[in-house]
Amino acid sequence: MNRECAVISGMGAISACGNNVAETLDTFSQGRRSGGRISLFDTCLPYPVFEVKGLTNGRDIMRTLNLAFIAVKQAIGDSGLQGVLQDFRVGVCLGTTVASQLNDIDFYREYKNTGNASMHSVERYLKGSLAQAISEKLGLAGPSCTVVNACSSGTDAIGVGLSWLRSDMCDIAICGGADELNRVPLAGFGSLGVASNSLCKPFDKERSGLNLGEGAGIIIIEKEDTCRKRGKKARLFLRGYGLACDAYHLTAPRPDGSGLETALSRAMDEAQIKPAQVSFVNAHGTATKDNDKVEGMVLAKVFGKNIKFLSTKGFTGHTLGAAGGLEAIFAGSGLREGWIPASAGFTNIDEEIGIAPVCQKTEIIGNCAVSTSLAFGGNNSAIVITKE
Amino acid sequence: MNIAGIGIISNRGRGVQSLEKALEEGWIPPKDSSYCVSEDIIKDKVILKEARRADNFTKMAVLAGYDAFVDSGLPPEAKKTLGIIVATAFGPHATTFRFLDDILSYTDANVSPTIFSHSVHNAAASYLSFMLQSRGPTLTITQFADSFHQAVILAQSWLNENRCDYILLGSVDQYGEVMKYICGQKLKIADDGKIRPFSFSKLPVVVPGEGSVFFLMTNQTTSKKYASLFPPADANFKKPDMCILDCDGMCGSEEAYLSIKETGALVSSYVPIFGSMLTVSSFNCVAAALMLKNQCHYPTPIQDNPHGLDLCKIHQPAKIDRISCIKYGCKREKREFFLEK
Amino acid sequence: MEENKELELKEIRAKLKELLVTSLSLEDIKPTDIKDDEILFGEGLGLDSLDAVEIVVLLQRNFGLEIKDMNEGRKIFYSVDTLARYILENKKK
Repeated sequence: MNRECAVISGMGAISACGNNVAETLDTFSQGRRSGGRISLFDTCLPYPVFEVKGLTNGRDIMRTLNLAFIAVKQAIGDSGLQGVLQDFRVGVCLGTTVASQLNDIDFYREYKNTGNASMHSVERYLKGSLAQAISEKLGLAGPSCTVVNACSSGTDAIGVGLSWLRSDMCDIAICGGADELNRVPLAGFGSLGVASNSLCKPFDKERSGLNLGEGAGIIIIEKEDTCRKRGKKARLFLRGYGLACDAYHLTAPRPDGSGLETALSRAMDEAQIKPAQVSFVNAHGTATKDNDKVEGMVLAKVFGKNIKFLSTKGFTGHTLGAAGGLEAIFAGSGLREGWIPASAGFTNIDEEIGIAPVCQKTEIIGNCAVSTSLAFGGNNSAIVITKE
Repeated sequence: MNIAGIGIISNRGRGVQSLEKALEEGWIPPKDSSYCVSEDIIKDKVILKEARRADNFTKMAVLAGYDAFVDSGLPPEAKKTLGIIVATAFGPHATTFRFLDDILSYTDANVSPTIFSHSVHNAAASYLSFMLQSRGPTLTITQFADSFHQAVILAQSWLNENRCDYILLGSVDQYGEVMKYICGQKLKIADDGKIRPFSFSKLPVVVPGEGSVFFLMTNQTTSKKYASLFPPADANFKKPDMCILDCDGMCGSEEAYLSIKETGALVSSYVPIFGSMLTVSSFNCVAAALMLKNQCHYPTPIQDNPHGLDLCKIHQPAKIDRISCIKYGCKREKREFFLEK
Repeated sequence: MEENKELELKEIRAKLKELLVTSLSLEDIKPTDIKDDEILFGEGLGLDSLDAVEIVVLLQRNFGLEIKDMNEGRKIFYSVDTLARYILENKKK
C-alpha cells in the first residue's frame, strides 16, 4: 500500500454560507442558516434550497463552471501558486453531477416541439466539461478528469488527485467539486421522496429529507517535496482515501453500512491512524431517513458513541458534486481553527441511530479529521486530513 | 499493466469472438446512418435477471464488464480486490431525456424516480458492481474525447498504489434520437456510410456508433492474456510495429494526424467497424490487443488512402510486438498509449 | 351498493396490475400472474424501496392520489387488494 501523503496548500469555497472560506467560517460561527425559497428557476416544487446569492448566470457559461472558477481562483491564491502554476505538472480532478449532463429543459422542449432546437445550450454544455475547462483556462497539461460518482464525486475527485500524486502522474493537483442548483435533480430528489419541505435536520429524530444546495469546494494538493522546494509552509495534509461500493442497490444504502465501514478503514489504514486518534468527523449527513441512520450507526461502531461529528449540510444544503470538496475544506478548517460549528438543524437524538452530532460550537484539540461521503449507486468514500 | 480479459458490446455483437469475426469481415453498411447496438445483442436473461429497470446504456456496460471478468478466467475471490472504472463521454443521455419528457408531461412534482435514478452517469457502474458483487473502489469519470485515456491513467495509478489488484476498466456510450439531432447539427454525417480515417480532412465525416468495452487490468504478469498496456506517462520510445489511429470524425479537423506520414509507420484504424464515438479509443484498443494476442494483422476496413500511407490491408499472420494507439483531441492535443505483446 | 363496490374494486385491481407491470418494468410477469393478496414488498412479488416511490407516482398520475407519509404508505402498499381499497375510498369523486 502506498501511504505517501499530500500537502493541502490551498482552499477555495463558495456556497450559500459565503463566497469564500472566511465568510463561511463566520456563518458557521454564528449558526446562520440561509435556506429558503428557490429563486433561480420556476418550479412548482415547495422544497427550500440553499442558493449562492449574487452570482448571475452568464448566457454562455454553465453556472457550475462559474462556481468552480471562483473557488479555483481562491484556492490558487491561498496556495501562493498564482503566476507559477505552469512551472509544475498540474492535474485537475473535479466532481460534479449536473455539469456532466445534457439536460437543458428549454432545448429539449424546443426540440420536441419543432424538431429544430437552437444549439446554444448544447454548445454551452460542450464547453462546460468541468475539469477540462479549468485545465484549459489555466493552461495546464497534467491529467484532467471529471468524476461523476453522484454525491461522493467531490471526495472521490480528491482521492483521484492523491492517487495521481502517489503514482507520479503530476506534482500538484487541483481537486474538489462543483455543482449548481438545477431543476432536474430537484425534481428527481423530490420524486425519490427524499427532499424535505422544511429546513433539513441532519441526524435528528424528526428529520424528513434533504435540501439541495449549490457551490464549489476546491483544494490544492501537492507532493511534500514540491511544497518544500517552493518554500510553502505545510499546515494541512491529506493522508488517506478510501472508496468502497455497496453492491447492494441503486438508490438505497446497504443497511449494515459495511461499505462505509470499509471505506473508513481503508482511509485510516493509508493514513496510519487508529479511530481513537480522530478528533472529529465531518459526516455526509444529508438528513434523509436512510442515509443518516446507516451513517450514524457506522460512526458509532467505528469511532464509539462519544465521537464528535457534525453535518454541515444544514448550512450549505446538499451541494451534490461539490459536497465532498466543500466538506474537505470544512474538515481542514476545523483542525486549523480549532473549532467546529454546531451541527445545524439537530435537536433531538434518534434512538435508532443512537448517537448525536455536536449541538454547539465545539473546541477541537486533536490534529486528525475524517470527512465522509455516501452516494447513489452505493458509493462510500472517506478521506483523512491531519494538521502539522 | 496487463490485459487479462476483454468484454465488448458493439453493433457487430457481443464478446471477443464477435469482434474477431467483424475484424475479419471488415466494413458493412450502417443502418439508418449509424451503428447501433440492437436489442437482441443486449438480451441476457441470466446476467440481467436482477436488472429489470436497467436502460440500454447500463445493459451494454454490465454485459461488457461481466464478460471481461469471465474472459479473464480469474477466480471469484479476485472480486475481493477488484476496482471498477467506467469512462463515458455523455452518460445515459437517452434516459436523461426521458426524464425531461416526464417533467414536460407531468410537471416537476410528478416525475418518475426510477427514470431519474437511471439518468445519473454512475448508474451503469452501480449495476456492474451489483451484478459482480464487487465491493471495491468503483468510479465513473467523464472527459468527452479524453474519457478513456483518463480512465487508463487512473487505472494505472490505482494499480501502482495497490488500491486494488484488478480493475475492470471500460467505456460506454450510447446513441439516440436527440444525439442524432445534435450530431446532425454539429458534424458531417457520411452520405455513403463510410468513415474515412485516412482522409485527415479539415471536415471529416462521421457515422455515429455506440457500445461498450471493458478490460480486466492487472499488474500481475501471470494473468496476462492479451497484451500489456502502457499509459502515456510510462511510454518509452521503442518504435511501434504499427499505429492505430482514432480518427472517426468526432473531434473536428483531423489534419494533425498527417504527422504520422513522416514516421513511415504501418497504419490502421478500425473505427469504420464500430462507428464514431468519443470513447472509440477503447474499441481500437481491443483491436490492438487482439492483433498482439493472435499475432496477425486485421485489414483496415476502409482503405481510401489519399496521403499514400503504409496501410495494414490484409488479414495475415504477422510478428507484432508493439502497437501505438493515437488520438488527437478536439484541440489537436495528442493522446497516445502503447500495447505490447 | 355492496355489489357495485365489489365490481369497482375488481376493475381497480385489474388496472393496478397492468400499471404495476409496466411502471415497474416487471419483466416476465403478466398482470394476471399477480394475486390480489400477494405481498408486494420483500417476499412475494419482491418489490423494493425504489418501486415504492414509483407506486406513489403511479397513484398520483392515474388516480389523483397523493401519499404524503410513507409510513401510512406501508399499510396501503401491502398488496394489490389493499391498494385498490385505498384508491376506492380516496379517489376524487
